[in-house]
Amino acid sequence: MKAAQVLEALTAALGEKLKSPELRPRETGVRKKWRVEEIWAEVPREAIPQAVAALRNLGPLHISIISGHDAGETIELLYHLAVGFGTEGGEVMVTLRTFLPKGDPTVPSISGILPGAETTEREKIEFLGVDFPGIPRRDHVFLPDDLPVHPWRRDEPELQKFLHRMVEWEKDDGPQKS
Amino acid sequence: MDPKNPEKDRQYGGLGEVFAVPIGPIHPALKEPIRLTFHVRGERIVGVEIRTGFAHRGIEFMGMRQGRNLIQVLYLAERICGICSISHPIAFTQAVERAAGIEVPPRAQYIRVIISELERIHSHLLWAGVAAHELGFDTLLHLTWRVREKVLDILEELTGNRINYAIPIFGGVRRDITPEQYPKVWEMIRYYRGLLEQLLDAFLRDPTVEARTRGVGILEPKEAEELCAVGPTARASGLKKDVRQDRPYLAYPDFEVKAITPEDYGLTPMGDVFDKIVVRLLEVGQSLEIIEKALENMPEGEITSFPKIPALLAHLKKAEGEGLGWHEAPRGEVIHYVRLVSGEESPLVWKVKAPTYSNLLSWYPMFEDQEVADIPIIAACIDPCICCMDRVYLVRNGREETWTKEELLRLSWEKTRRMRRWRA
Repeated sequence: MKAAQVLEALTAALGEKLKSPELRPRETGVRKKWRVEEIWAEVPREAIPQAVAALRNLGPLHISIISGHDAGETIELLYHLAVGFGTEGGEVMVTLRTFLPKGDPTVPSISGILPGAETTEREKIEFLGVDFPGIPRRDHVFLPDDLPVHPWRRDEPELQKFLHRMVEWEKDDGPQKS
Repeated sequence: MDPKNPEKDRQYGGLGEVFAVPIGPIHPALKEPIRLTFHVRGERIVGVEIRTGFAHRGIEFMGMRQGRNLIQVLYLAERICGICSISHPIAFTQAVERAAGIEVPPRAQYIRVIISELERIHSHLLWAGVAAHELGFDTLLHLTWRVREKVLDILEELTGNRINYAIPIFGGVRRDITPEQYPKVWEMIRYYRGLLEQLLDAFLRDPTVEARTRGVGILEPKEAEELCAVGPTARASGLKKDVRQDRPYLAYPDFEVKAITPEDYGLTPMGDVFDKIVVRLLEVGQSLEIIEKALENMPEGEITSFPKIPALLAHLKKAEGEGLGWHEAPRGEVIHYVRLVSGEESPLVWKVKAPTYSNLLSWYPMFEDQEVADIPIIAACIDPCICCMDRVYLVRNGREETWTKEELLRLSWEKTRRMRRWRA
């Protein structure tokens, strides 16, 4: 699979919605040189399932991870996908970037199209407080069920206090000396 | 009989009500705690719930938000996993090198490849021993773990440590392989070459091992693809999925790695535990070949592009950008995403994905319709890191019983003995 082919399929499926697509190839190998292709593009949140479905039709699709962070006004999610495993140097890494407004941090789930995405979507629910309508299971993967904060948000006033309690519990919550 | 669901009842042979059997989460002998709640009808598993996170340390948060610089974060990355303690630094350094535009000298790339292949050998042998123990074949456990000492000795010779090697640094590696160390590595390769056939024979031509692992814990190729399984778990189902082959990195194009499936041993892939043994043992041979080639063609030259650490830190502080780094760890794909902002010492974003994270979902189809005595080997077959057979808390007719790991293992061993008797 070639990056140009993947980009073509994405453009055909998304048209105008595919913003600032960029190729970031990397040269690898010492004696035998190889060019490994990477595609980075921005996609509006409602078009994410469409983009993933287009990649799925193209060849065997793998989702590595969804990474994300709190960008102030918005929450940024990055879908790191890889399409076309099975041949030597034939897999193309595709990263789809999308921004969710803090007021309504939702993005349609892709677990229906690619069941392997479920764990990473559930992880984003607990860490960033986003929601994926259509996800089959919502329970926590890593954090306790009753954790009051989303640790990767930077606007959580409770978070600092909470961490302080966790680290400094001996001083703050220890037995009171009268 | 289960009056509520006659259809399902017929399917499972009229074994009556479904009981929930929670296993885990804590066992001191295992590295990672996990809770598996099995729904069993008689001896058959009809469903499973998986709860992870009992050992969540918030490592990404510590790296992003607690004022560590990137070199301190590198050592944190090394401590994500004890067994994959070079896989995470390799993926992390590559991500940072992409973000900061740092080149890695050829010799350093070769050294990274050699150490990570040595790690694969020790990890696969560790796993093989654990698998033998779960089956009640302790002679084989002791044999595999005895021969594993050889590769650990070589790792100690090359890096100073049996695990947590501290070899990769941004822009290269921290230690060179010296001329007097070469013969020792060659000797190790010869040692394993002679042993591999013996190990394959002990595992794959033993009728009891075959009876206990053939057709157990099956992952269909379609399921493996849809659930995005990685590493030997995916390859045992016949998927030719190996990051070293699919999107080669570092010096891996030089070695023309091919994903190993049971077909390479002349078998049709079934995706069961037996196939996972086949794939892992064959990969030991593959790693030996890669190390051999790397030693023969080792380029001369520098081992790092930043010999002075303060200069490296200053460069990283100025850097701005984002990058991905990946690596095929013994258990499958490891990937790190890093974003750096100029003027900040810590990364703005750091996301880590370990192989078991991807393989977690494959447990659901694997456990479906299996026997309770097969739980230890199925749980162990994707990854020995997470199998926490501490105790089974059995609630039967409102009466609670606690089963220990020993009890579960005893059940597994009894099954092996029973099968031997049938064969005799």
